[in-house]
Amino acid sequence: MLLQLLVNGLIIGSIYSIVALGYALIYNTTHIFHIAYASIYMFSSYMLLSFYINLNIPFIISFIIAIGLTILLSVLIEILVYRPLNKKRSSLNVVLISSIGIMIVVINIIAMFYGNETQILNPNISKSISIGNIIITYSQLAQFIVSLVLIFIFLIFLKFTKFGIKTRAMRDDSILCKVFGMDINRMRLMLFMLSALFAAVGSGLVAFDVGMDPYVGMPMLLNAIVALIIGGVGRFEAPILGGFIIGILQSLTVWVFSSRWQDAVTFILLILFLLLRPQGLLGEKKRAV
Amino acid sequence: MNYIFHIIIIINIYIILTVSTNLLVGMANLISLAQAAFYGFGAYLGVLALMILKLPMIPTIFFVMFFTALLSLIIAFPSLRLKGDYFILATLGFQLIVFTVLYNWISVTRGPYGIPGIPAPKLIGIIPVSGIIPFLVLSSILAGFVIFIFYKLVHSPFGRVLKGLRDDEIAVKSLGRNVTNYKILTFAISSAFIGIAGFIYASYVTYIDPTSFNLDEAIFILAAVLIGGTGNIKGPVVGAIFVVILPELLRFVGFPSSIAANLRQIVYGLALIILMRYRPQGIAGEYKLQ
Amino acid sequence: MNEDILQINSVKKSFVRNIIDVRGKEENERFFIIDDLDLQIPREKITALIGGNGAGKTTLFNIISGFMSPDSGDIIYQAENKQMSIIGLLPYKITRLGIGRMFQDDHIFHDMSVLDNMLLADADDFGEFPFISIIYNRKNKIIEQERIEKANSIFKELFGEDNPFWEKRDEPAKSLSYGQQRLLGLARLFMGNYDLVLLDEPTAGVNPQIINQILIIIRSMVEEKDVTVFLIEHNMKVVLDLADFCSFMSHGKITAFGTPDDVIGNDEVRRTYLGV
Repeated sequence: MLLQLLVNGLIIGSIYSIVALGYALIYNTTHIFHIAYASIYMFSSYMLLSFYINLNIPFIISFIIAIGLTILLSVLIEILVYRPLNKKRSSLNVVLISSIGIMIVVINIIAMFYGNETQILNPNISKSISIGNIIITYSQLAQFIVSLVLIFIFLIFLKFTKFGIKTRAMRDDSILCKVFGMDINRMRLMLFMLSALFAAVGSGLVAFDVGMDPYVGMPMLLNAIVALIIGGVGRFEAPILGGFIIGILQSLTVWVFSSRWQDAVTFILLILFLLLRPQGLLGEKKRAV
Repeated sequence: MNYIFHIIIIINIYIILTVSTNLLVGMANLISLAQAAFYGFGAYLGVLALMILKLPMIPTIFFVMFFTALLSLIIAFPSLRLKGDYFILATLGFQLIVFTVLYNWISVTRGPYGIPGIPAPKLIGIIPVSGIIPFLVLSSILAGFVIFIFYKLVHSPFGRVLKGLRDDEIAVKSLGRNVTNYKILTFAISSAFIGIAGFIYASYVTYIDPTSFNLDEAIFILAAVLIGGTGNIKGPVVGAIFVVILPELLRFVGFPSSIAANLRQIVYGLALIILMRYRPQGIAGEYKLQ
Repeated sequence: MNEDILQINSVKKSFVRNIIDVRGKEENERFFIIDDLDLQIPREKITALIGGNGAGKTTLFNIISGFMSPDSGDIIYQAENKQMSIIGLLPYKITRLGIGRMFQDDHIFHDMSVLDNMLLADADDFGEFPFISIIYNRKNKIIEQERIEKANSIFKELFGEDNPFWEKRDEPAKSLSYGQQRLLGLARLFMGNYDLVLLDEPTAGVNPQIINQILIIIRSMVEEKDVTVFLIEHNMKVVLDLADFCSFMSHGKITAFGTPDDVIGNDEVRRTYLGV
């Protein structure tokens, strides 16, 4: 039982990791408290639903289209809302409130067209494999493998490509980057695209397993934020670690208490980290600039 | 006619919520996503006072204010040590914890089943306040009282410190003012008055359940303040009226209620986006969010 | 009573820098911005602190006024027969002990009125506790009136009978000119009854006429109000004109201390800082 729960925790943790990574890409570099990310996440599931179920297009192709459209949404949000605010040098609180506004708009547009009910992508009970006492469904397996591959590619990408180095430079000092002639707007656009990619993949994989409703984004976003904080703001490995920790912790909560207390435990962990180790597990205190 | 009275009562409740929240957002520059938690504290404490302790109305109000403020300190002390985003995040975390507890601690709060049959509060221990007209009077008096108190506070030396705080926190510290204390006091005062709104809501509707006090409601309260405008009294009042009347207007125009619910949310969301871009002080406020 | 109002004993402060080199390798590096610094500030005198950019001058001010805490070391403050360590105290407590501060970038309240800027700086904080002003309405009115009188008399004393500050008292402070904002920042310090005042580059970026006014104000602080002044200054003419003592800071240490003539004449200072 415990082992099964730990495996489940690891699998959902891998999803938290990639979603948190997408959030961290924005938060670490632009410092935007990107609440709208919740709606970006949710949007992907519904696009997948439209193409896969409503239009009956093969799953892989639907998934790719859904990811593309989600990236488009993210780009639109950046160009139409965040970029003008950045140009006006609006404070981060103003950007945060705008972001909340975007989330409300997107969620309600989706709810208007698709309804508030839970919708499922895969009506059959997923096939599963068992190793000893542990049962893993194929869709869980897909979640785990795809997430790990994505994380792996991302880390290599961050380390060795020019874009990766620029991303890390921007995390450290975006004003300096501007001084050195980096095209910040283009950089931001690419970050928003990449971030939406992570959200879209995570969202599609989860939706295939458990379905969706218009409000799935917020809980996932909150888990992503907690993963980022306990991992450590500023490092891109951190949300990966944080994601797995939360996944496992939530499974343990189920084992010790019940699933109803998962959220409470997650947020108590958040509060403890904010108070006792705000730099997170991997972070180190830095000079405030 | 009763319909209009009902709308006014709801507006009064939201005026109390927004005017109190404005003290945090518009005066102390603290964006809190835990406002619905205090609203919920007020409602549940009101139920405790009315149903179990069987207190008359005025002691109930003081009871609610005092304990809501006290409970808010549990949130304020740790959160206020944090800056900027981390503060918002901490309030968000607390909001979710409070909701989870209200929802799952079934033996005490009855959780999702809610608490029905909340009795009418009794004036001077005997005269029950129930029915729409008495509640219209009661909520109007309380909303007026809250507006008066906050007007006085804003125009006092305390209000001056808060204005300093939102202008330049470091300067306030360097002038020998204990910034953390002021923030904690602001938090407690704001929560105490929000508690009143919870009490009126609970006794007016006579039924509460945790879903009235979830994160969506917290965002909604914050949106109402920011749409109306921050920094003065007029802004939050306009905000409260706007968010309560808008859905009624949409209904009059003839949208089916299934779409109207989503549509009004979309209007709020767009209002936030557009205001933040072109008018960060809101419709009638004077302070530009920072 | 000791003749030094402030004794700074072997204070250290370090930061971690996160560096990415050209190949994209990350590294954390610890460096000391204040490295075992000792300094005494003589009472009721003007002491200047000079040194290059990044020498750690403002960091030292931040440590004295409690905005940063040092890694190690001690700072002893001695006023009115009390002697105490001020390490670990919050900034507001340090201010309450009588150490005022003006920042490099003024930190006046731009959106508040000129008068409110002064009133908020008052040493007496009566009425600032919520509801007190409502409960003790009459006393509050009297004290507010006294505060306004106090601000008025400070303006008159510093800037003459018809000064722009009193005339513009109800306008937001941002409507003042840059130089006037600086003067308001200084005038605000007179509301606070301080024993020691830390000034971070008070003359930076203002015209010579305002500089003269600032010098007169700083002198009157010391001569008439018995305040001790400790200031960071880059303008050597101001240092020579104004300061009784001068200390030179380099690489987180005080490497020269004495009269301004001595320190500015010092070979090392001339070579490394003044470049002559």
